[in-house]
Amino acid sequence: MNHFIQPWLLGSALFIAACSPATPPQTPGTLKGESVTEVSGVMRYPASDFVEQRLGERGGTLRVSASSDAGSFDIHAQSNGNMQWLGRILFDCLVYQAEDGTLTPWLAKSWDISPDGLTYTFHLRDDVTFSDGERFDAEAVRVNLEHMRDPKTKSPLAAAYIAPYLQGRVVDDFTFEATLRTPYAPFLDVLSQAWLGMISPRQILDAPKSIASQPIGTGPFVLTGWVRDQGASFARRSGYHWAPPAIGHPGEAYLDGIELSYVPEAMIRYTSLEAADSDMALDAPAQNAAAIRANPALTLRNRIRKGNPARSITFNVERAPFDDVQVRQAVAKAIDREGLAWISGFGEYLAKGDFLAVNTPGYDPVARDALAFDPTAAGRLLDAAGWTGRDSQGFRTRDGQRLGATLLTYDNPAFPANVSVAAQADLRKVGFDLQIELLPITRVMALRYAGDFDAIGGGYWHTNTADGLYILYHSQSIPSARMIGQNVGHFRDASLDQLLGDARRSTDPAQRRALYRQAQQRLAETVPAVPSVESQMLLAYRNAVGGVLFDGSHNVPLFTSVWLAKEQP
Amino acid sequence: MKLLATLLRRLRDGVIVLWAAASLTFLGVQYSGGDTALAILGGPDAMPTPEMLAQVRAEYGLDQPLWVQYGHYLARLANADLGESYRLRIPVGQAIAEQLGATLALASSAAVLAVLIALASALLTANRGRRLRALVSGIELVLSSAPNFVIGTLLLLAFAFHFHLLPPSGSRGWRSLVLPSLALALPIAAVLAQVLRQSLEQVLEQPFITQARARGMSDTAVRLRHALRHALVPLVTLAGFVFASLLGGAVVLELLFGRQGIGRLMLDATANKDVPLVLGVTLLAAALYVLVNLLVDLATQAIDPRTTRP
Repeated sequence: MNHFIQPWLLGSALFIAACSPATPPQTPGTLKGESVTEVSGVMRYPASDFVEQRLGERGGTLRVSASSDAGSFDIHAQSNGNMQWLGRILFDCLVYQAEDGTLTPWLAKSWDISPDGLTYTFHLRDDVTFSDGERFDAEAVRVNLEHMRDPKTKSPLAAAYIAPYLQGRVVDDFTFEATLRTPYAPFLDVLSQAWLGMISPRQILDAPKSIASQPIGTGPFVLTGWVRDQGASFARRSGYHWAPPAIGHPGEAYLDGIELSYVPEAMIRYTSLEAADSDMALDAPAQNAAAIRANPALTLRNRIRKGNPARSITFNVERAPFDDVQVRQAVAKAIDREGLAWISGFGEYLAKGDFLAVNTPGYDPVARDALAFDPTAAGRLLDAAGWTGRDSQGFRTRDGQRLGATLLTYDNPAFPANVSVAAQADLRKVGFDLQIELLPITRVMALRYAGDFDAIGGGYWHTNTADGLYILYHSQSIPSARMIGQNVGHFRDASLDQLLGDARRSTDPAQRRALYRQAQQRLAETVPAVPSVESQMLLAYRNAVGGVLFDGSHNVPLFTSVWLAKEQP
Repeated sequence: MKLLATLLRRLRDGVIVLWAAASLTFLGVQYSGGDTALAILGGPDAMPTPEMLAQVRAEYGLDQPLWVQYGHYLARLANADLGESYRLRIPVGQAIAEQLGATLALASSAAVLAVLIALASALLTANRGRRLRALVSGIELVLSSAPNFVIGTLLLLAFAFHFHLLPPSGSRGWRSLVLPSLALALPIAAVLAQVLRQSLEQVLEQPFITQARARGMSDTAVRLRHALRHALVPLVTLAGFVFASLLGGAVVLELLFGRQGIGRLMLDATANKDVPLVLGVTLLAAALYVLVNLLVDLATQAIDPRTTRP
């Protein structure tokens, strides 16, 4: 095997061995560590997680640890997930998506959308500056949108998100008009994501390469130092007073600065937090969740990322046996996702049976239980598909052929090997022979985009709109020689295409909700993939940390309102 | 004159080694599978547009035949241009320079530690007490066969997590250097100590040692002044092994201890098919290897004049 043995696996294994299951798996509607409520069958975080509740104390430097360096601060040239919170420290967006999906003002005070959904007119704030002194205005917006889609930027994400953008017009200093090729309802949603923030136009035009290491934005902090793979430091931007009104935070950030360290080993992030060497740990290790909760000095938060949940298996629907929808349904029902949730999340992760994260705008619980764990039903489906024979090893056969497939995976913390092994064991019980092939990531990516696999393990997509379904399951998103699409299973369903396409073009929110509801139903019937757990992030911090709010788009911490109390020794 | 000829010959050999390293790595990375443009743009969380893909293929010459890419690569190399990292989007030289200091600090402190530990262990135990020797030798055997990351994890458990004496991670200050240096040094020290002890014991049997003792020299002086110098020769030839262990171990330990450095840079580069960066680091390693071997030869000659080439 020519992939690297990851040394931290051993470290983790030593500590995992010391833990044991303490509480039963969670049911939808409850989430450990969060005071969530259920509103018409949908789990909701409390509004107080997203709006500042009281004034904080000014001063202090927050020491944060995170797992890895994104390698660059050029949000437009990045798709790294860390940008969700890192981007917010340095940059602001045109609009802000509140937790409930409402689009609210940020650098744009207001906007008008033409009835045909093709023209967006943004009325911008006139009191915003970049940290290099440049004024934020309509020309700055135009330059930014051009930078996102300029091939030289080599953008892996932002460019695709604004692909329908045709041209921009500076109407006056603070009015910008964007014209789209086709109606694209998620336009404002994606503009509120951290990868599409506003960079100094002077920097974009004069020194675009310097964005990677000396980024200049309008955000609540400025970068003061960065050592690759080691850490970064940020200082409060004085004069900042343009945080999104929706978060209820006036004026500058409370913290003097943020000291960010990159610590790959989750166990070490946890230990240094426990020892008060750091104040906050992003991506806290699930296996230590119980210990963090038991520690009176620490708080653990459990945040579901908006978008598409984690999948255990994505099917290649062009290959047997997964070209048969009954086999796909059977596999989805035969995998015990509560078990998978336990294995990967130690009781912290929510099992997931449908195709949108529960807090995504447009999520509808209509198909929540359609793919519930039911091995008996799975067996019936396989019988109906003609896999009625049995071979000497107990696997199902049809015309002398064994029922089975190979699952392609790579060493991936979001989809650890024990999860594929558990799925393999579950499928064996219904007579399905799942082989696991573990390859280096570059090999897997090549096979993935070439469609050269039976089934592929892992995967999720973080976005703040139900349009994430278009990205993963619309036939337009099938990868080809000239395009890297995320519909890697080559899934193609005319009625789903229709629903997702209509929802993209519709300007009527009620109609979009209805279309996405039908789309979620359709996905549960056609099963292009097997959802497994919500894509979650655990955040741990010391109790001296106050004012922890979460970003409405990404549900990751927002540092603008964070403050530090003097901790009792 | 002779020295100059030796140096010139070594220089020529070095260039050949570097060219071979560059070419083999180039081919290796190309045939490791995977489309480079995908590796640059198409991670599991990316969705580049056709324009971006075309730009990357054109800008990095990925649409050209392999031999053309190889030719371009060698030509640039001849001009001391290592190219730009695909993933970091900065010059390879800069990427390496950013990380080199941290790795050198780790490797050199580990090397010094390893030599000191090995000297102490061998000098104190050679020909002294069967049991002591067996015990120390046994510990060395365990250490030399244990992988770095096991030793590192145990050190972490004891000194960072349990006693909170030293920081578990980072590259800030000397305190963060102690545990990784120790983890890197121990297996090397164990091997060196075994070799050194054996060679010391052989030397201590030699007639000239008996002679020195007969002149009334103390045991310590005999060991330090006479035996050690002779016993060092086989140790110096192990420098290549030490160097390789330091480099290989640094990769693992930089990850375990969350340190910046060349090892981590190399691992990320390989995982992301960052061809220019992989090649840059490989060339650096090869160049250092050539240099170390040259120094070893010179050092051997200095210690033992008999090894001078005719």
